[in-house]
Amino acid sequence: MLKMTHLSKVYRTEVVETYALRDFNIDVKEGEFVAVTGPSGSGKTTFLTIAGLLETFSGGEYHLDGIEVSNLNDNARSKIRNEKIGFIFQAFNLIPDLNVFDNIEVPLRYRGMKAAERKQRIMDSLERVGLASRAKHYPAELSGGQQQRVAIARALAGSPRLLLADEPTGNLDTQMARGVMELLEDIHREGATIVMVTHDPELAARAQRNVHIIDGQVVELSEDPRFHTVHAAAGDAHA
Amino acid sequence: MFSYYLELALRSLRRSPGLTLLMVLTIGFGVAASMTSWSVFRAVSGDPIPWKSSKLFVPQIDNWGPKGRSSDGEPPNAMDYADAIALMRDHRAKRQSAMYQISPSIVPAQADKHPFNVSGHVVYGEFFPMLDVPFKYGSGWSADDDTNRAMVAVISSKLNQKLFGGVSSVGKTVNIEGKDYRVVGVLDDWNPQPRFYDVVNTGGFSTTGDDVFLPFLTAIQEAMSNDGNTNCNEVPKESGFVGLQHSECVWVAYMAELDDVAAATAYRNYLNDYARAQQQAGRFGWAPNSRLRDLPAWLDSQHVVPSDTRVSLLVALGLLLVCLVNTVGLLLAKFLRRSGEIGVRRALGAPRAAIYSQFLTEAGIVGAAGGVLGLLLTVAGVASVGWVLPKDIAALARLDVSLLLLTMLVAVVATMLAGLYPTFRASRVQPAWQLKSN
Amino acid sequence: MKLHPILAALRKHKAGTVLIALQIALTLAIVCNAVFIIGQRVERVNRPTGLDESNLFLVSQQWVGAPSADNADGVEKLDAMQREDLAALRQLPGVAAVAPTNSLPLLNSSWTGSVSHKPGADLGGKGDIRTAYYFTDEQALSTLGLRLVAGRNFNAGDVQHQGFRDQRDRPVAIISKALADKLFPDGNAVGKVMYSDGSNAPTTIIGVVARLQIPSIGSWGSSFAWYSTLIPTRLDGGFARYAVRTKPGQLDAVMRAVAPALYKVTPMRVLDDDSVKPFSEIRAKAYRADIGMAVLMGVICLILLCVTAAGIVGLTSFWVGQRHRQIGVRRALGARKIDILHYFQIENLLIAGVGVVLGVVLAVGLNMWLMTHYEMTRIPLLYVVTGVLAMLAIGQGAVFVPARRASNVPPVEATRAA
Repeated sequence: MLKMTHLSKVYRTEVVETYALRDFNIDVKEGEFVAVTGPSGSGKTTFLTIAGLLETFSGGEYHLDGIEVSNLNDNARSKIRNEKIGFIFQAFNLIPDLNVFDNIEVPLRYRGMKAAERKQRIMDSLERVGLASRAKHYPAELSGGQQQRVAIARALAGSPRLLLADEPTGNLDTQMARGVMELLEDIHREGATIVMVTHDPELAARAQRNVHIIDGQVVELSEDPRFHTVHAAAGDAHA
Repeated sequence: MFSYYLELALRSLRRSPGLTLLMVLTIGFGVAASMTSWSVFRAVSGDPIPWKSSKLFVPQIDNWGPKGRSSDGEPPNAMDYADAIALMRDHRAKRQSAMYQISPSIVPAQADKHPFNVSGHVVYGEFFPMLDVPFKYGSGWSADDDTNRAMVAVISSKLNQKLFGGVSSVGKTVNIEGKDYRVVGVLDDWNPQPRFYDVVNTGGFSTTGDDVFLPFLTAIQEAMSNDGNTNCNEVPKESGFVGLQHSECVWVAYMAELDDVAAATAYRNYLNDYARAQQQAGRFGWAPNSRLRDLPAWLDSQHVVPSDTRVSLLVALGLLLVCLVNTVGLLLAKFLRRSGEIGVRRALGAPRAAIYSQFLTEAGIVGAAGGVLGLLLTVAGVASVGWVLPKDIAALARLDVSLLLLTMLVAVVATMLAGLYPTFRASRVQPAWQLKSN
Repeated sequence: MKLHPILAALRKHKAGTVLIALQIALTLAIVCNAVFIIGQRVERVNRPTGLDESNLFLVSQQWVGAPSADNADGVEKLDAMQREDLAALRQLPGVAAVAPTNSLPLLNSSWTGSVSHKPGADLGGKGDIRTAYYFTDEQALSTLGLRLVAGRNFNAGDVQHQGFRDQRDRPVAIISKALADKLFPDGNAVGKVMYSDGSNAPTTIIGVVARLQIPSIGSWGSSFAWYSTLIPTRLDGGFARYAVRTKPGQLDAVMRAVAPALYKVTPMRVLDDDSVKPFSEIRAKAYRADIGMAVLMGVICLILLCVTAAGIVGLTSFWVGQRHRQIGVRRALGARKIDILHYFQIENLLIAGVGVVLGVVLAVGLNMWLMTHYEMTRIPLLYVVTGVLAMLAIGQGAVFVPARRASNVPPVEATRAA
């Protein structure tokens, strides 16, 4: 489903070159639920932006659903994002001017879907996250947990092959976080491929597989993810 | 998809009504100011006889010599009597007419009515077909009428209405300066602006049209003196109107119809030959310095478009430019304020083209709203030019469909042009993962 | 307050900075020139003609079937008719004085010629001074309200008459002071002679009036706008004009009485609505285009300044909104409200400063372009300096509202999520 080999990402300024990722290798199979962990600045967010085709990379190969994406132009990349990938952001990233319904509609609009089908899908996905009654509400009128559910509904509405989540519970309190996590597990059980970046070991533990990144490289998987929490806690000042 | 962009644009504009209003006002005022100035400029710079202007020519003969020329070497802009008559006698163009302006009194047949003044021109019979002058009743007069100094007249439909109640007066008599003239033709509505056949005397524009036309030689015989400008390089040696005719003073306008370039060239050579003959005869002590301009070039050389009108248009266009720069800034602010939204949309799969469409639609709507306001203000502007401009010119500024369409078009196109850079910037916003804020 | 952080911030908002500066520059360029045009027009409109313009009106009339002015017999008849008209007008109650005249200042219908020190001079030659003639009679000075500064007025014995296309010697004349000074820079023009229109017969200057404008206000007459010559001669033709001065407050009544009185003399004449005009109307018509141009330029300037001020408010508001958090951080780090206010004020001053420098260049360029293509003179420095100060003031005024809003951002803003 998602396969990166010898992938590298270099940020160049006039003075220095910084490797965000180097010789990065990962292979996520169809239907897997993978948690990516690592300390702040380890490159896990860079990994996710590249995986989501939000950024280009400097070297190596990246196959997404069997397609080598490095040579695709902006339009083709937009199309893949639109049709194959669902995003769940830490900050929800709902568009404040649009109500719940219209927010979920955004990716469907760019797919050129008919109005009836759009409506069906939006209502289905809202039903799925348990917010069917809030379709006309604006993001500001919802709690954080509800907003994240809307964001998940927006990601699900397009029936993506791959769900990318960045600290999906980072901005939520424990109880809301639990709800969101259960929702993701449900979605996974229904067959979705999920890649989730988190620094929360408890959350990571609920994934099928953990990938740990340090200094832009995947390090050997540990049997016990809690082994790394010491480093994470020490090095991470994540807000 | 367009309806989606339209909906998004309206939503966005509604969200910041103050900024939207500011942009609409800016565009509206900018467009209205330039369109109002344009309506005036268009009116005064228009071609009064577009189907024929390239075939109508105004000859100039240098009968004053180097001392009488203007600083750019131009000969006088009118003719003396002798040259005008000589050119008419040679009759080298397809059609031609010498003419001068008169302001005779008309004595109504009814004893209880006071006499009144009209303006008019004395012309040759070829004047009417040469300028495609429309007739309501009758026609112009013949070449024989010219040579025989016939007492005939062509009058305007306005004068016909006043004197004869609008029924055909052909064959009836009209008392002009105390003499009876037989009406041979009544014009249809005809008041070309600028008054191209005699811009030297009318200054180009006049709200009141010519009411009478009389045969040139008849008017000379009747000593009907000219009402227009008379310019002399020396004091006439003899007195009176006859003295004027024998002088080198210039006061006669002249127009000739020449069908093609060959005819124009031939006529130009003829003018030079004529001047050379005058030189050899000892009348001109200088080489020929003739001019032959077609009508558009002639109107241009006589500065028929008032410089105030040009400067106003220029300044108004400057205003529009500032309004557009202003709109660029406001749109930029408005669009980049939504960087977050753009980033999310891009992440959710919006291609650049979609961003372009969305934001250009928004600019277009601002332009359209500005255009509607501009329309209203242009209507008000054109209606109020009468307050600030000379009557003759203000009366020419008209609203018509083409002006209204142009107003709308300029507003929308200009605003979308102004929106190009902000939209370009919006489309460059990277698809966002973690929205950053500065 | 250090400039460095401001400059750094401006570099981040290059496009907005450039746009505001550009807008200020264009506005300054246009407003300077437009205000200069207004100033010129106002000056033109306000210059006095030299006449006492109140209680003055002009009658323009035409006889129908009048004798020809081309023979001596006809001229005598026409002159008799004119004298009859003058007598009738002078007898009207409320009339103070009446004088025949071929034209009046601002009437745009003129008889121009030239005067010279030497007899038989070439027209338009060297030493020739252009002038406009007023052909009138001994009541001219009192009718027009001209102020005699030297010499004497015309008397009845000075007054001659002639056909309007005839040439006749001009033994005496009163000239305007401007013309007198031009002809005789040493002063004392009275009693000296000049030769008009290349004539060999001398014209003695018997009087000098303080000021008298020529009829034309067009640009072709601007070189001799104040060089007027009064000739005590009635011009006889089919057409005659009479200037009438009424006693105070009786203008309307006398104007109404004119047509009946003249028709009583002879009905065979043209006297219509346009024939009897108060001088105020002549003035209004003459300067209509100038006033119109001034109004138009004024309206455009007003719109321009509003648009530019609004643009500054709009963009600065956007920047303030964008930097909300940053402002909060500054406040949290100890910046006072006044510091934040000053920050935006200085930022605006910098942008406007660049704008006005560019604007001055554009203003002078535009002025030079107008000078080569249209009748414009060089723009005085005062206009440019005033324009610069005005633009800076408008910039500061416009930035004040959003800047004050910025200064009211509470320090707690720093702790909020972006």
